[in-house]
Amino acid sequence: MTARSLTRLVLLGIRRDLGGTLFSAFGVCIGVGSLVFFVAFGLGVARIIREKIFPVDRAMVEVAPPAISVGSFGTRLDQERINRLAALEDVAAVYRKMNVRLPALSRYEGAFFGAQLRMRVEVLAMGVDAALLGKEARLSPFADPPPGQPIPGIVSTRLLEIYNKSFAPPRNLPQLTPTLVLGFTFPVEFNSSMISAPLAGEPIHAQVQVVGASDHAMLAGITIPLETAIRINRAAHVDADTFTGATLLARSVDRVPHLVAEVKKMGLKIDDPDRQYGETVGVAVMLTTSAFALLSGLICLLAAANIAHALSTSIGSRASEIGIMRAVGGSRADIRSLILAEAALIGLVGGGVGTLGAVLFGRALDAASQAYLPPFPFKPETFFQYSWEVTVGGIALGVLAALVGAYGPSRRAAAIDPAQVLAQ
Amino acid sequence: MISAHSVRKTYPDGQGGEARVLDRVDLEVKAGEFVAILGRSGSGKSTLLHILGGLDSDYQGEVQLGGTLLSGLSDRQLAKFRNRQVGFVFQAFHLLPNLRAIDNVLLPAFFSSRPDAEADRQRAQLVLARVGLLAKSERLPSQLSGGERQRVAIARALLHGPKVLLCDEPTGNLDEHTGAEVIALFRELHREGLTLLAVTHEERISAAAQRVLKLEGGTLSDLGTGGNGH
Repeated sequence: MTARSLTRLVLLGIRRDLGGTLFSAFGVCIGVGSLVFFVAFGLGVARIIREKIFPVDRAMVEVAPPAISVGSFGTRLDQERINRLAALEDVAAVYRKMNVRLPALSRYEGAFFGAQLRMRVEVLAMGVDAALLGKEARLSPFADPPPGQPIPGIVSTRLLEIYNKSFAPPRNLPQLTPTLVLGFTFPVEFNSSMISAPLAGEPIHAQVQVVGASDHAMLAGITIPLETAIRINRAAHVDADTFTGATLLARSVDRVPHLVAEVKKMGLKIDDPDRQYGETVGVAVMLTTSAFALLSGLICLLAAANIAHALSTSIGSRASEIGIMRAVGGSRADIRSLILAEAALIGLVGGGVGTLGAVLFGRALDAASQAYLPPFPFKPETFFQYSWEVTVGGIALGVLAALVGAYGPSRRAAAIDPAQVLAQ
Repeated sequence: MISAHSVRKTYPDGQGGEARVLDRVDLEVKAGEFVAILGRSGSGKSTLLHILGGLDSDYQGEVQLGGTLLSGLSDRQLAKFRNRQVGFVFQAFHLLPNLRAIDNVLLPAFFSSRPDAEADRQRAQLVLARVGLLAKSERLPSQLSGGERQRVAIARALLHGPKVLLCDEPTGNLDEHTGAEVIALFRELHREGLTLLAVTHEERISAAAQRVLKLEGGTLSDLGTGGNGH
C-alpha cells in the first residue's frame, strides 16, 4: 500500500467515527498541552534564575582560600599561588579579588535623582582586577585614581533591580537604570562603622563614583579597582598581600570539572555561592515542574490507554471491514499500518492542538502578568521558554502516546482471520 | 485455472479433538469454466473457497490458481495474489458503509502496489457500467437496494480483472427476482470468458453453472453438468 492510499484510507476511517476520533485526540491534547506548558514554565523560570537572579558564567570558577588559613600553616591565596593558578593548563585568565578589610560607612544627605535622600549605610567594598570589569566602566577608567579624585565603582545590576522593585517604590524614590546611575557620587568613610568597632587609626574619607554596572559586580556592596583596595588595606595596616578570592576563566566549559579538581588539589576551595544558589533554586524549580510534568505524562498515558480502548472497540465493530480489506488485497502489515496511521493522526492533531494551546495559554499568562502583577525584582517579560525542542517534542509525544496506545489494537486487527469474519 | 490436490482442513472440535472439514479434496477448474459447488450449511464450502482464494492458508495439500502455487506464499505475497488474481463476492456484500459505491469498487486499488488514480477511476466506472450501476456510483450502500449492493460488490471484485471470480452464497441475501438478476450477470460474465466458482446451497445457481460439484463429508463429488453445461 502506498503512502497516498494509506492517507486516504486513514481519512476515510477517521471520518467514519469523527466523534470517537475527536474524543481520543482531546485526551492527547490535554496530556501534551499540560506537559508542554509545565516543561516550558520550568525551563523559563530556570532561565530567569540562571540569567537574571543568579547569573553564572559557566566558564568561570570562583576560588577562595580555605576557611581556616592561619599564617604559613594554611593555604594562603597570595600572588605566588595566583601565579600557580594562572599556570594551570585549563586556565585562560585569572582575575584577583581583595575585600577592603576594614569596615566602611556611607553617610549621604542630598539630592538623589530628583528626590531627597538621607541615609547611613554600612558599605562593603571589594577590589577586582580591571581586566574582569574594566570594560563595564563607561564613565572613567577602572583604575586606582590619583589623590583627590573619586574612586571608580561598579554596582551590581541585580542590586539595581532589587532597589527598583523592592526598595524604591515604598519610599517614593526614583527608578534607576545602569545608565542613570553613572556619575552618582557618594561619600564613604573607611574604618568607620555603626555596628562594629573600627580598627586602630583614623577613618579614611573617600568619594566613590559609579562608573558602570555589571552582573559580575559584588551584589551587596561596591566593586572598586583592585589597586584601590590594596592601597586602602595597606594604609590601614591590614593584610594587603593575600587575596580574598580569584575568578578563573576556563579555556572551555568542558574543562571546568577538571579545573575544579586541580584547584582543590592545591588546597583551595571553590566559592561560588551564586552558582550554588542558582543550582539549588533551579533544582527546586525543576523538581516542582517535573512533578507537574510527571502528572501530565500520566495524562498522556491515560490518553494512550483511552486510544487503546477506543481502537479496540472500534476494531471489534470493524472486523468485517478489515476482513474485506484483507480479501481485496490488504496484508496484515497494511492493516497494522492503517490502524497505527489512524492513531498517529490522532496523536498529531491532539499533540499539535495541545502544544498550540499551551503556547497560547502561556502567552495569555505573560500578558496578564504584565498587566496585573505588581513589579517585583527580576520580573520577566515571559515566564516560559517555548523552544522548538519543547514544541516539537510535545507534538512527537502526542504521536508517540497514540502509537503506544494503538500498538496492541493494531496487532489484534492484523490478526483478524478474514475467512472467519467474512463467512459470518 | 484452479488445481487443488489432497486439500485437508481441520478445526478444533472444542473437546480437545479435531473436526475434519475437508478431507483430501481434489478439484480441477478449467479457464472459462463456471463451476458451482453445492453443499449444506457447515459442509466446508466457504472454507474451500477461502483456501482457493488465498484467504485461508492454514491447510494441508496443494492449491494452484492461475499457475500460482499458494502454499508457501508469504502473507504479503498472498495479499498481492488476492489483489490481482481473484475477486471475491460474499453473501453479505461486505461493502464499507461510509464509502460511496465508486469508492467501494476502488477499494482493491488502495492496496495495489502500483496505483494509478486516474486509470483506476476509469476502470471503476467501467465495471460499474458493466454491472449497470454507473448512474448510482455516488450513492452510499445504504442508498442502494440489496441487488444493487451485490452488483457493487461484483464490480469491486472485477476491478483488477481477476482470473477467477469466487462467489460465496452470492444470492443468499437476495430475493428471487434480484437473485435472478445477479445470476444473469454471472452468466454474462461467464460468456465473456471469466472463470467462476460459486459455492451455494441454492439450486438456481447450479442451474446457471456448467458443472456442479457436491461437497459432503469433507469430499467433493461430481454431480455432472449444470443447466449451463455444454
